[in-house]
Amino acid sequence: MSSIDGKETGNFGQPVSEKIKSDLLTLNMGPQHPATHGVLRVEIKTDSEIVAEAIPHLGYLHRCFEKHAENLDYRGIVPFTDRMDYLGAMAMEWGYCLTVEKMLGTEIPRRAQYIRTICAELQRIASHFVYAGTYGIDLGAFSLFLYLMEEREKILRLFEEMSGARMLYNYIWLGGVWNDITDDQLKRISKFVDELQENMKTYHSLFGENKILIERLANVGVITEETAYQYGATGPVLRGSGIKWDLRKDRPYGIYDELDFDVCVGEGLKGTVGDCWDRYHVRIKEVDESIKIIRQCLDGIEEGPIMGKVPKVLKVPEGEIYMRTECPRGELGYHLVSDGGKTPYRLKVKSSCFTHVSMLPDLAPGQMVADLVATIGSIDIVLGEVDR
Amino acid sequence: MSGITPDISNYASKDTMIHQEELTFGKWCRNIWDAVSTCFKGLMITGRYIVAVKPVTIEYPEVREELPTNSRSRLFNDVDNCISCLQCAAACPVDCIYITAVRRDKEAPKLKTDDGTPIKLDLRQYTIDTALCCYCGLCTTVCPTQCLTHTTDYEYAQYTLSEMKYDYLAEDIRAWKHRIVK
Amino acid sequence: MLNEIANFLSSQVSNSNAAAHEAEVGSGHVLVAPESLYACCKALKESDEFDMNVLEVVSGVDYSDRIEVNYMIASFTKGSELILKVKLPKESADAVPEVDSVVSIWKSANFLERECYDMNGVRFRNHPDPRRILTPDDWEGYPLRKDYKTQKEWHGMEIDPEHKVNSADHNFFKKVVEEMQGDEKKVAYSWKGEE
Repeated sequence: MSSIDGKETGNFGQPVSEKIKSDLLTLNMGPQHPATHGVLRVEIKTDSEIVAEAIPHLGYLHRCFEKHAENLDYRGIVPFTDRMDYLGAMAMEWGYCLTVEKMLGTEIPRRAQYIRTICAELQRIASHFVYAGTYGIDLGAFSLFLYLMEEREKILRLFEEMSGARMLYNYIWLGGVWNDITDDQLKRISKFVDELQENMKTYHSLFGENKILIERLANVGVITEETAYQYGATGPVLRGSGIKWDLRKDRPYGIYDELDFDVCVGEGLKGTVGDCWDRYHVRIKEVDESIKIIRQCLDGIEEGPIMGKVPKVLKVPEGEIYMRTECPRGELGYHLVSDGGKTPYRLKVKSSCFTHVSMLPDLAPGQMVADLVATIGSIDIVLGEVDR
Repeated sequence: MSGITPDISNYASKDTMIHQEELTFGKWCRNIWDAVSTCFKGLMITGRYIVAVKPVTIEYPEVREELPTNSRSRLFNDVDNCISCLQCAAACPVDCIYITAVRRDKEAPKLKTDDGTPIKLDLRQYTIDTALCCYCGLCTTVCPTQCLTHTTDYEYAQYTLSEMKYDYLAEDIRAWKHRIVK
Repeated sequence: MLNEIANFLSSQVSNSNAAAHEAEVGSGHVLVAPESLYACCKALKESDEFDMNVLEVVSGVDYSDRIEVNYMIASFTKGSELILKVKLPKESADAVPEVDSVVSIWKSANFLERECYDMNGVRFRNHPDPRRILTPDDWEGYPLRKDYKTQKEWHGMEIDPEHKVNSADHNFFKKVVEEMQGDEKKVAYSWKGEE
């Protein structure tokens, strides 16, 4: 404490008084803030360092995919689904193709099913790597990003050889997959997952076990079971709160019912169940489960065709369907209404990121601004999917 | 300081209020030891990368990466083999392919593509607005004569949008045929 | 499953008129009267038998005479899912039908209903924050209506300006037709000039 003119002052020279009532300070976080993972703008009202209110403003990346879809034929929509969650594009395509295939009643060849599962799980690994890497940058740990990007690059290279593109694949088609996968590629995937399993331990000890990181993440941004249900949280966010719900297990699609894997849930190892560290740990454990699934697929993959019978001019029978799949970031649902024509009458996308963002006004009050960054990072949003 | 220190309980919902355990001297020492030891562990990993692991990046302008053969990059249409069937334009989800063709005279000499398909239309315009193109590859898969292909050419940035519009009937672009077609 | 839910809703909510519609392809739905939507949702959430604890998505579908609002409800404890549908009649093309908000039952409805209002133009009564969400606050019209026309200008910015349209390539067709003495049948085209 210092003093000016005999009056007691605070740290910054301001007079100390019990009667001071300061206004809240409005702070705009984003849309160009590096920690918002895209163009999310959060309007924060802060009382010094404490967040009193956080209001997310969406729409900076809004392209009205749903309106586009009403004017495109069913095959032409697939490249657009890639662009929603550009870090989990394979899973997005798979969800859409499953929806339309279920309406058409197409049977998918076994080989295509295996290839799809391998791709989706590799994509899950790649997506979780981007999450963990960028999360490290948000929190001031840069090195993990470089290591994980190196691993992700290997996955992207595999995808590039299979589909021809690095991020926006258009690889999973209605009825099957575009290209066949060669034995050489299968061998390389097998080698890659073997190496990855070893490396994951290193990465986890580098990042997740670090005391400084634990102090940043444990007991921060706790999502309780009740909040998770109330806000319709899905995917790793839901499982981080200790709820065992995974569509791959509970409502199996594709060939997931034949595969053996565990559903990882948050246990509150370093703090409370449902805090940021739990959500991080669930994702890291999911990488191990994905490796397990990929190994089983590599063992079980069968020879055969890769495309089912789909008519050249696609007309989906009249009716509606709501189909959910488990994407890296949570559940992805497609609500397809068809009037029997060549284009969908309505295609509504349930995006998990959108519902996760709606959680922010509830999570933020009472947090430090720096903890808010950790919270936003931990729910892992991709703005392409939020705004669609 | 009491007047300025914000009261967290004004804003915190019940869920986010976590009671921190009291910090004893023993715990304080332990925290420091944990922080130092785990950071050291991380630094050891980083250190290993400095010495033992070869760089994974390439020095771009000097070293150019060869893309995989089915990589979807710049589009090329071999107009001599094009039968103007318009299937690529119909399949394109962003409508970036512009084709106009006129019917060939019956007296004119018969033309055939390399795989023997008769050409019944004279191509007058085959333009792709590459700035609009989303590189989804749907147009190449429907092409019956395999004349429209993705090449592995990836360095074609331009200063203006109009330069990204490729007229495949133009002489200079026809000349690419020997350079980039797989 | 759908019949059970319809029977349950009929017994719990007197004016619900709940009817199960099984589908041959795709998924069926339960149709309820718009006035009873809130009571139906509350009953489904609070019942021990169904325990619908998650609202997944609110999806509005525009038809010429009505707007259908679909509530995808799921139970993560029982592992079931349901499409709950209400049909809101639309008097005129610009009319904004109203239905009760379910925010007080599921908090996720807050953003989902805002999106439905923004895109389909359905007003939710008793919504705590009835603003647009994806488009700017002063945007005109509801983009996912079938008769939607984009506005010409927004804050002095022209939407789809003429000079950005690739007119040279669009109009090539007309040039070729002139060359062929106006015989359109002789010309094959992918673009006729106008969109």
